[in-house]
Amino acid sequence: MNAKLDSAPLGVAVRISRIDWDAMSHDEGRRLREFGLMEGIDVTPLHRGSLFSRDPLALSVGRMQVIIRARQAAMIEVAPTAP
Amino acid sequence: MTAAIPTIALVGNPNAGKSSLFNALTGARQKIANYPGVTVERKAGHASFADGRPMSLIDLPGSYSLTPASPDEAVTRDVVLGQQAGERRPDALVVVVDAANLDNHLCFALELIALGLPTVVALNMLDLAERDGLTLDPAILSRELGVPVVPTVAVRKRGLADLLAAVDGAILTHQLETHDHADPPPSDAALHQRARAIARAATLSETPVRRWTQRVDAVLLHPALGFLILLALMFVMFQGVYAWSEAPIGWIEGGIAALQEAVTAALPDGFLRGLIIEGILGGVGSVIVFLPQILILFLFILLLEASGYMTRAAFLMDGIMAKVGLSGRGFIPLLSSFACAVPGIMATRAIPDAKDRLTTILIAPLMTCSARLPVYTLIIGAFIPNTNVGGSPVGLQGLVLFGLYLSGIVGALVVALVLRRTVAKGNAAGFMMEMPRYQWPRLRDVGIALWQRAWIFLRRAGTIIFVTTIALWLLLSYPKVPEGSSESQVDYSVAGRIASGLEVVVAPIGFNHDIALALIPAMAAREVAVSALATANAIEAGDDEEAMAQSLSERLQGRWSIATALAFLAWFVFAPQCISTIAITRRETNGWRWPLFMVGYLFLLAYAAAGITYWTAVAFGLG
Repeated sequence: MNAKLDSAPLGVAVRISRIDWDAMSHDEGRRLREFGLMEGIDVTPLHRGSLFSRDPLALSVGRMQVIIRARQAAMIEVAPTAP
Repeated sequence: MTAAIPTIALVGNPNAGKSSLFNALTGARQKIANYPGVTVERKAGHASFADGRPMSLIDLPGSYSLTPASPDEAVTRDVVLGQQAGERRPDALVVVVDAANLDNHLCFALELIALGLPTVVALNMLDLAERDGLTLDPAILSRELGVPVVPTVAVRKRGLADLLAAVDGAILTHQLETHDHADPPPSDAALHQRARAIARAATLSETPVRRWTQRVDAVLLHPALGFLILLALMFVMFQGVYAWSEAPIGWIEGGIAALQEAVTAALPDGFLRGLIIEGILGGVGSVIVFLPQILILFLFILLLEASGYMTRAAFLMDGIMAKVGLSGRGFIPLLSSFACAVPGIMATRAIPDAKDRLTTILIAPLMTCSARLPVYTLIIGAFIPNTNVGGSPVGLQGLVLFGLYLSGIVGALVVALVLRRTVAKGNAAGFMMEMPRYQWPRLRDVGIALWQRAWIFLRRAGTIIFVTTIALWLLLSYPKVPEGSSESQVDYSVAGRIASGLEVVVAPIGFNHDIALALIPAMAAREVAVSALATANAIEAGDDEEAMAQSLSERLQGRWSIATALAFLAWFVFAPQCISTIAITRRETNGWRWPLFMVGYLFLLAYAAAGITYWTAVAFGLG
């Protein structure tokens, strides 16, 4: 099964299976990699938006927490982490 | 080799604690300037090796890699590559990494080490990492990286001497070796893999991450509760600016009055005494009085930033900002603009999207900067009763002030919406940011930053405001009104006559001669409006004992209607009366086009807002 990161449930670790690098700009892609968001990495979505919007998404990558927009999260496919 | 003082550059990811380390190494001996040609801040300072030899330190803008995504990051790359105009290539690098975030920070560190300069890694914030349940081995890390690794806790000044000794050693061994190879840059993925492998090797044990920060975030980033807390924090901030500054303002006023008395006693009546008492002490004094409020506002902003909360605020605000075509990134420059639009506009450099950034620059002057506070507090103090709203602890004066801030914010959002659909059309802005851990703000770092802000304000008071105040005093004092004339000195003076011309334009929106007179010198800086009113008032009172005894606000109460006072407040929500802001906008947008656009649209809005306020107030019988 292949879900997108923008709709993954909060608080549950998932593994990035595929990132649609072609759909995003060069800079966007680079910043994602600098944040450590790459295929094979485990991430946990933590917070989503506020009162007025479902954007942005805060997630943890390793020991870091980063914020991205739902639009970018929609380009990231995730799968359940291996048990 | 050269006998020149060695230059050592501090470089690393954002949130690695670089600035704290820089502060700890240099103390207050810092110089802040701009790199030539670009408007990126250059922070430099001095320190010395154990044997007393001096070194010069520069703190480079935080960056994630040597491929820049913003003008700040471009400076970092150019300096370490020796390509920055007017900057010698550093003799050594101190790569600052957050001990708790090695996976990520080591990527940039590996890139920097590959440059071949003498390099030492500062394994910073080791105490926080340990609190986080992480045990690291600096020796393994050093072996894997091939450079010395020194554990530091910058905020407790731990490891500093070892760090400098290691830098000294690295420069020395470097001179003995030959370095003619530069490794080809590895791919992103390879770099990350190596970074993670090294981080794993150096980590002796680790427990699940950041429980403390995550528990706090569950509350502060809660979709509804978190938002209410943000609003409450901002409300407390603005009430605090008003309430806590009362006592220190009293002390400053007392001090100025004492100085004026001393001058009166020491000097004979004449030109010099008039200039000092009315021009300098009256004019500049009426601006210095607002230092406490400005410092309280900056203190709040610095604390929010140092604690890590500011990024949370950006997260919460991103949804709203996205609706008007901006991003949460813009929240930090805009919040800084509440203190002063100049650092706010400079902070927009962190916004990668050009149109997003331009829009943020154009609306930054709508945030209520501290220079408006003197105007607002004077008028509110004079015309809004000092009572509480319906028996609650909320003061009416504070509420009006909050309303003025809110008008600026709402105005800015509407303007952004329009701009993003017209002159600054572009793709939806992105928003990608690292969220730092929470930490206690360090008194020392906050203190240094606060002192720098106070100094900038006082220097402004001492130069722009001082000069305009004296010029205005001269224009108001001459020519002298003839004996026995029924006209007042102010009306008869050069300034008074210019004001009479302007009055024709602003009379429809309820502005009187006083205001027309104050608006002209206030083009230099908004707060000059207050000193202009004070100076004109002092000259007009002349030797009239009774008039002299009245405070400025008492005099205004007698001369202005409430409708006029409210219109004056509404004017200042929008009016772009600040030379520094116009100048920084020109610099940041590389030309006159956008600053002129900004000034034009803001004056139009100011005129309309003041007019609507005045006519409405008159309709309610407040004329």
